[in-house]
Amino acid sequence: MSYNVENDRGHNAPCSNRDFDFFYRGLVDQRLLVQKCSDCGTLRSLPSPCCPHCRSFDWQEYPLSGKGVIHSYVIHYHPPLPGFTSPHPVVLADMEEGVRILAAMDGTPPESVTIGTAVTTEFVRRGDVAGLRFRLV
Amino acid sequence: MNNFSSKTAIAGYGATEFSKNSGRSELRLAVEATLAALADAGIDPGEVDGMSSFVMDNNSEQEIFRAIGGKDLKFFSRIGQGGGASCAPLQQAAMAIACGVAKVVVCYRAMNERSEYRFGTPMHSLPPTSDNVIFAYHGAAGLMTPAAMIALMMRRYMHETGATSLDFANYAVTARKFAATNPNAFFYGKPITIADHQASRMIADPLRLLDCCQESDGGVAIVVTSAERARDLRQKPVYIRAAAQGSPGGSVSLGGFYRDDISPRDESAAAARQLYAQSGLGPKDIQAAILYDHFGPSILPSLEAYGFCARGEAKDFIKNGNIEIGGTLPLNMHGGQLGEAYIHGVNGITEAVRQLRGQAVNQVPGVKTMLVTGGSGLPTSAAILGVE
Ligand SMILES: [Zn+2]
Repeated sequence: MSYNVENDRGHNAPCSNRDFDFFYRGLVDQRLLVQKCSDCGTLRSLPSPCCPHCRSFDWQEYPLSGKGVIHSYVIHYHPPLPGFTSPHPVVLADMEEGVRILAAMDGTPPESVTIGTAVTTEFVRRGDVAGLRFRLV
Repeated sequence: MNNFSSKTAIAGYGATEFSKNSGRSELRLAVEATLAALADAGIDPGEVDGMSSFVMDNNSEQEIFRAIGGKDLKFFSRIGQGGGASCAPLQQAAMAIACGVAKVVVCYRAMNERSEYRFGTPMHSLPPTSDNVIFAYHGAAGLMTPAAMIALMMRRYMHETGATSLDFANYAVTARKFAATNPNAFFYGKPITIADHQASRMIADPLRLLDCCQESDGGVAIVVTSAERARDLRQKPVYIRAAAQGSPGGSVSLGGFYRDDISPRDESAAAARQLYAQSGLGPKDIQAAILYDHFGPSILPSLEAYGFCARGEAKDFIKNGNIEIGGTLPLNMHGGQLGEAYIHGVNGITEAVRQLRGQAVNQVPGVKTMLVTGGSGLPTSAAILGVE
């Protein structure tokens, strides 16, 4: 069964909804986007339909610089992941704009991935889907 | 406040054997466990009028009910969040009975979670529910398994507290020691050493294989009725002193990475606050505990969240022998889900019942009040159980 129905949302990432579409469209355009509340200005990273601070539904796309510092990470070993080679680093970073972003850090040796290390973002294709990953600065 | 504390009790429990291949349907496991629990309580199946479980159980309430020859099912509920909800059916049952909606509620969990499917595999091709779009968003980074999600939380916990893999080994060794003397445990007769733990392969660094719960086939059921009725039944009543769910703002299912403290702790602390308020008890009154060990390292922040030690002190609490029988808080005496079986936490509730009745294989002498918890790192649940 496939839920990845044909759509005109401007991306082909699997399993998205209308709250998350902007993020994947941003990756297609090589932009790392978060939401910025149009009323109170608060940035929110994990997409959601409403500002948890002022409850406004109005928001704008806000591009991040891509620069951050590793807050935590995991090196995935087992079981094998579709689309990635093990060992596979996944990094949660504190971005300089004050929000967190989770992204792969494949392409960097796992032993170089440590908490507090500065990272920046690069855009990649994973199969036919636009993606991103961190790398060392 | 209308309080249901101690107004209901666990009157019976039942379980199948725990294995890697049950050889029968999940529904049959559920029905076997349910009938065993009713027989243990001394309640006729025709008296059941409530059933409660949590999601990821493939057995519908009415199908179990049909199989046991049930007459009139008035209350049936199913709580979200998988193992986080393992104690939530106790709260459902207690509330339903205290409100007069039902009189005899069966809480159940049965699965062939090894022979027919496996929870540890990468999640993909999901319908776009509100939770699944988040799993997919994280999955795009290659964060696809529960082990990796908890590992990401625990790596930060290690950074903040100084806990190491050796501290995780101390829990794993203790759990497997208890399992080694529990004939119902899959790892009966198979203790491990610190060196075994350290030599076990990485699954999701910092989690090693021996930090991970098992994958198991099996079924467990628990019968809850009013305290008054329970006192007239066959077994010593195990009272539900308190039962709660916990999901503070910022909770995400295995993905609470966007709040100040990403360690698997906030949901548990939220449940703890309610349990202690409902029951009038505190951490000092808890004489033994069953803490959910989907991954053994999560025991450390759980000990802190439920108030048994201060933030960052769990590693020393364990190292100093507190979780042994004879220690201040004997923990997971059945061997936990690392050692006994992974029946999504409900086998921990039955261990608490055995302990409180004085029928456990690794018995804590004279134990009267216990804590049991659901999975951490996602919206959770927990209960305080006790005997007179
Ligand atoms: Zn706002």
